[in-house]
Amino acid sequence: MATAEMPAVAGRWARAPFYFNSAAHLIRIGREKASNLAELLEALQVCPDESIFQHTFQTLGEHHFIREGFSNDFAHWAFAACNEVGLAERLASIDVREFTSIAALRQRLVDLVDAYLKQNPRARERSAFEPFYFSASELIVIPTPFVGRNLAEFADGIRQVSLHSIYYHFIDARLRLKLNSNDFSLWLEHELDLARLADRINRIDIYTSTLHDVRRAILRVVQSAL
Amino acid sequence: MSDGKPLQPEATLTGDQPAESGSGAVHAPSPPDVERRQRPRPKISTTPPAPPPPPRLDDYEPIIGKPELDDLRFLARQLRGKTVKMVNSTAVGGGVAEMLNRLIPLLNELEVATKWEVITGGNDFFEVTKGFHNALHGGEYAVTQAVKDIFMMYTEQNRQRMQFVEDLFVMHDPQPAALISSKERHRGRWVWRCHIDLSNPNPEVWGFLRPFIDQYDAAIFSSPAFSRQLACPQYLFYPCIDPLSEKNKDLEESVVAKVCDDFGIDRSRPVITQISRFDRLKDPVGVIQAYKLAKKYVDCQLVLAGGGATDDPEGAAVLQEVMEEADDDPDVIILNLPPWSAIEINALQCASTLVIQKSLKEGFGLTVTEGLWKGKPVIAGAVGGIPTQVIHKLTGVLVHSVEGCAYQIRYLLTHPEYAAQLGKNGREHVKENFLMTTNVKRWLLLFQILLGTTRPHPPEEG
Repeated sequence: MATAEMPAVAGRWARAPFYFNSAAHLIRIGREKASNLAELLEALQVCPDESIFQHTFQTLGEHHFIREGFSNDFAHWAFAACNEVGLAERLASIDVREFTSIAALRQRLVDLVDAYLKQNPRARERSAFEPFYFSASELIVIPTPFVGRNLAEFADGIRQVSLHSIYYHFIDARLRLKLNSNDFSLWLEHELDLARLADRINRIDIYTSTLHDVRRAILRVVQSAL
Repeated sequence: MSDGKPLQPEATLTGDQPAESGSGAVHAPSPPDVERRQRPRPKISTTPPAPPPPPRLDDYEPIIGKPELDDLRFLARQLRGKTVKMVNSTAVGGGVAEMLNRLIPLLNELEVATKWEVITGGNDFFEVTKGFHNALHGGEYAVTQAVKDIFMMYTEQNRQRMQFVEDLFVMHDPQPAALISSKERHRGRWVWRCHIDLSNPNPEVWGFLRPFIDQYDAAIFSSPAFSRQLACPQYLFYPCIDPLSEKNKDLEESVVAKVCDDFGIDRSRPVITQISRFDRLKDPVGVIQAYKLAKKYVDCQLVLAGGGATDDPEGAAVLQEVMEEADDDPDVIILNLPPWSAIEINALQCASTLVIQKSLKEGFGLTVTEGLWKGKPVIAGAVGGIPTQVIHKLTGVLVHSVEGCAYQIRYLLTHPEYAAQLGKNGREHVKENFLMTTNVKRWLLLFQILLGTTRPHPPEEG
């Protein structure tokens, strides 16, 4: 599909360059804590937005090296500390790419836990092996020297930036943009008119890939057009 | 070992009994090995060697990559001209001093001028602060007026002696915590770095210290489980390892081979290792029991290596229990090592097929971090800071019993691809979260946030 775009791509300058940033985060310990699923449900309703973000989006960056079996902190806790495999499966099925607001994501989490506890009332008060501690991240954006003014420079940047930069533009961006997209795809589509390339990149699965895999997959897509 | 006395001189080495005197009937075959029975005592220095010079920032590039170093340099540039003072209670010995010895040169190399000062006091002061320390872990301690007077008198002496002219002050642990009384008279932001577990403190001691802590601008804990509700924001700084330290640096294969040879470890067969002090909370006896259960089905050797049995009566008693549990099994190798055995510990971890940390109670568990860093599949008790490091079935496996530990030994030894993936994930987890360089980044971020040189981005803000 990308071959149709090829002839024009090689020497084409973007209307605006892509500035690669990186990000660093500091974890703030939250006030909420859950020792069983009833407490988790309660805390999910009142915790700050930053905590929902931390345990769903940011945790993907912190555990970027895991290719399968990790989706978000809530699912992992339900599995490893509560031994509630059914709930863990449902929570793990939440795909952050479907959400453009924290409020909607929070509501989905609450609905899932609430429904599970209605079906399994005895699971409400059963003590977990270890509590769930809510936390939140303070994220600081860090500029990098890498700039993409055309597709070749963009590929070079993808190749050289840190995985934190890939996380920032590819995962963190989804909520920032409030679009079902990411910084890379948006730039390719809007600044280089490469909509199909953008779409192929946007469909790289972050739940079955490490961030190393994501980097390689982006490069494969971009190289195919160069 | 049959007489229960640790062998000397340099390192205590057990497990060199004749195979026929052990419980060989239930064991998978192990080679009768005359040489191992007569193996030489390992040569470990009887005095600590001089520490190597601290690494430079560029030395970390092969490990974390240039972009990561660039991030550190950018964050530090924002802080140029700012000054930091860190205060603790000892310049040598203990984990905090060891960490500061690495952290402070790196911050200074990044041109964040950081000064380290140590509070002084008489024996009476340090007796009080030791009492506080134990009581904050839940022990009993009476905070009498005399205790308060001693603590405040030495705090005031130190306050008079020190100058508080920096932009940021970081007090480590309770000993210098009351220096916060200087806050009113000086500019600067104050941080309390608590390295100890405050989850169940003695109320009297915590009640005395808390008014000081509440005056800080931020507090730092090693785990959310160790924290308290405080008036100031609390941040999470995981303890960390230095990948360039003697205990964690890459070793030449010849070094690993020599240490194994010295200790009589047969590298052609699986080796499972627990590194820890001879302390009941590390459950070394439980580890041997798990090994015995597993060995009915899989061939392996068990190495239990640590210290604490020479200068600690309880450690000596635990070592005796361990040797009794090991019976005469030639495949159980028990090593009572001196504290300066970093290279030997490193080599033992590198030579291991599996690393175990079957603690019943634990702080953060840096031996787990070390095992993960060496890319080893780790089996560990689900206590303290261990679940933060060992994400069950992803970066290792968590166990809650001897039987569970035995099962995981069998499973991992018979599923090497799965074990290798756990080890690979574990190393990445450490690289991302538990290295010294990550902690340098955390300090730089915290300094920026406290000094307002940057504004954190809320999750939904463009």
